Amino acid sequence: MGLFITIMDYLVIFFSTWEFAPWVRGILGGLVIGAVFGGALVMVYLERKFLGDIQSRIGPNRVGGRFGVLQLIADAIKLFTKEDIIPAKADKWLFIGAPIVALTSGFLMVAVIPFDLLMIKGSEYAVAVSRMDISILYLEAVSGLSIFAIFMAGWGSGSKYSLLAGFRNVAKMIGYEVPLGIAIISVAVMAHSLDIVEIVKAQSTWWFIIAQPLGFVVFFIALLADVGRIPFDQTEAEEELIAGWATEYSGMRWGLAFFAEYLHAVVGSFIITLIFLGGWNGLPLIGNLYIPGIFWLIAKTIMVIMLFIWVRGALPRYRIDQVIDIGWKVLIPLALLNLVWSTIIGLMWA
Amino acid sequence: MTHEATQITSPPKSSEILLHLGPQHPLQPGPFLLDLKIEGETIREAELKIGYIHKGMEKVFEDRTYIQILPLTDRICYLASNSNNDVYCRGIEELLGIEPTERAKYLRVLTNELCRIQSHLLGIGEYTTDVGFLTMFIYMVREREGVVSLLEAITGSRLNHNYARFGGVAHDLPPGYKEMALKTLGELKKLVKSHDEMLSSDSIYLRRTKGVGVLTTKVASELGVAGPPLRASGVNYDLRRIEPYLVYDELDFNVITQTDGDVFSRVKVRLLEILESIYIIEQCLDQMPSGPYKQDVMPYITRPKPGEVYSRIEDPRGEMGMYIISDGSDKPYRFRIRGPAFATAQALPPLLIGTYVADVAAIAASMDSCTSEVDR
Repeated sequence: MGLFITIMDYLVIFFSTWEFAPWVRGILGGLVIGAVFGGALVMVYLERKFLGDIQSRIGPNRVGGRFGVLQLIADAIKLFTKEDIIPAKADKWLFIGAPIVALTSGFLMVAVIPFDLLMIKGSEYAVAVSRMDISILYLEAVSGLSIFAIFMAGWGSGSKYSLLAGFRNVAKMIGYEVPLGIAIISVAVMAHSLDIVEIVKAQSTWWFIIAQPLGFVVFFIALLADVGRIPFDQTEAEEELIAGWATEYSGMRWGLAFFAEYLHAVVGSFIITLIFLGGWNGLPLIGNLYIPGIFWLIAKTIMVIMLFIWVRGALPRYRIDQVIDIGWKVLIPLALLNLVWSTIIGLMWA
Repeated sequence: MTHEATQITSPPKSSEILLHLGPQHPLQPGPFLLDLKIEGETIREAELKIGYIHKGMEKVFEDRTYIQILPLTDRICYLASNSNNDVYCRGIEELLGIEPTERAKYLRVLTNELCRIQSHLLGIGEYTTDVGFLTMFIYMVREREGVVSLLEAITGSRLNHNYARFGGVAHDLPPGYKEMALKTLGELKKLVKSHDEMLSSDSIYLRRTKGVGVLTTKVASELGVAGPPLRASGVNYDLRRIEPYLVYDELDFNVITQTDGDVFSRVKVRLLEILESIYIIEQCLDQMPSGPYKQDVMPYITRPKPGEVYSRIEDPRGEMGMYIISDGSDKPYRFRIRGPAFATAQALPPLLIGTYVADVAAIAASMDSCTSEVDR
């Protein structure tokens, strides 16, 4: 632990000198992207193993020892060596562009995620590629890009199944970005800031999940829909639309699209941890227990990811009209109610 | 219900899409083509096209000797292979004018009910994955494993059992079978009850299934649907009760019916029938007389007298019938199979009209049709 803190100290001194040098941010960006990339891989592995446990299966158990840790490497090799097929009826550039846009949106989201806040000689340094005043708004905006990706894929594939999935996705997203946004506003109202770092700092004694549990529930459900996981995975419902918008994709193009989804889920888990579960703050009233904040953040994020997987194992899928019903008729009124509540609480909190 | 109602009559308008669901699609147990004319997500017209795995079984049977046909009847539908053996053997027994031994009757009832349980378990499992509930599928397959092992212990094989024989069965029970069966089935009973509770209380599942794909009694009876889909529509029709064959008249069981006729009821009927089947098996194991399990002397070549017979059975999926004409030779003159899945499959398109694309999977799987048997 001592060693870790020393390294962090050096890093921070380095930052304080070079904070504005573009290449420092570049290196940090590379590191963070690598870390989140790794996080998405861990999520895929966790999902297979944990879902296997829920469903009384074993999960991957051949490649890389009895726990199958190298299964993903094997899968990636398989995907890289598969033939890349672009259907004759496809709109070529939309088809090629869709996974790139999906992945770009994921990586753009990573840019503003702070992993820790370090206090050195009275000034604070957020461990993030970029710290902006409106980072939560920025996150909302770039996560919206993934909707375009799915619609591009749906339209560009030249397949009816993909097209239906694209329609479904647009219909779903219009309904769910709204409660997601309102839930974020409720948090911002309480923290008096749109900056994620400030939002986390406002939770140093009490997490926002305690102040507005309803907001957490709304945000969690809307996030599930946003990242397209069961019970909201209508865009790739296997039994209805084969693979939804990814039906025509093969090889690494499909791999990228699939990976972008997991990236969104991981980033989504980070966001939910940051804005509702106290981020890098330790437990309420107990504090950090001398454990660096980044470990708290990652531990909580893994818990959220496990919750995602658990939901997937426990629930069937909604029908698309029911999904939209829930979005407009249940989540938005609840989110508005929560906004009122958080405004009242927020006045007292301050 | 006219035939035109289940056909796509006009090309799609500009606001409509013609969606070909199949012949290869993840929802299908086997290849068939379901053409759907959809507007948005709503289905306007539906047409079912079958015949992708036509095996010409009836014609093949006319070219085989009677005993050679027996293992082939397994292949009509691998989930109902025991029932198919049994209905075929009962037909030939009627032609030959013999009766199976008393113990063989019990053994056939026993295996038929085990067969029904494993078919229902897989049917419910396939159905639950089609509403996106993969966990329940894997639970069902896990539960089915024990039942298939029980069948394997008697018949020696897990899927195509080839167990019944003319006037008897192929093997007797292995030693210690009763304890083994009671143990497995006791556990199964508990698990099925808990799964039933889980499915009846899950709000998403209820919203996906209640009131969806309602099969009215009228449509069902006009299209010849039998078995669980018919009973779910409120018709108390079960061949085991109406026309008791083997030893069903000596056994106590309830015919499970539901009133709604929707997807939920069809699955509920199957779940409750599993419990009834377990009850029947327990009675069989208690009441089974000792004695020979097969005829002492049977001719090496079966040559029934000229005549015709129609024998039928309550298959896991409905009413399975076989119509056999004998001309006195060692091969049937004409063989006709009346499969339950064919009737169930043709009831599918009328149910789909007006529903959503997402419900196709749920409705199709809740009918539990078997393409192999539809095409035979």
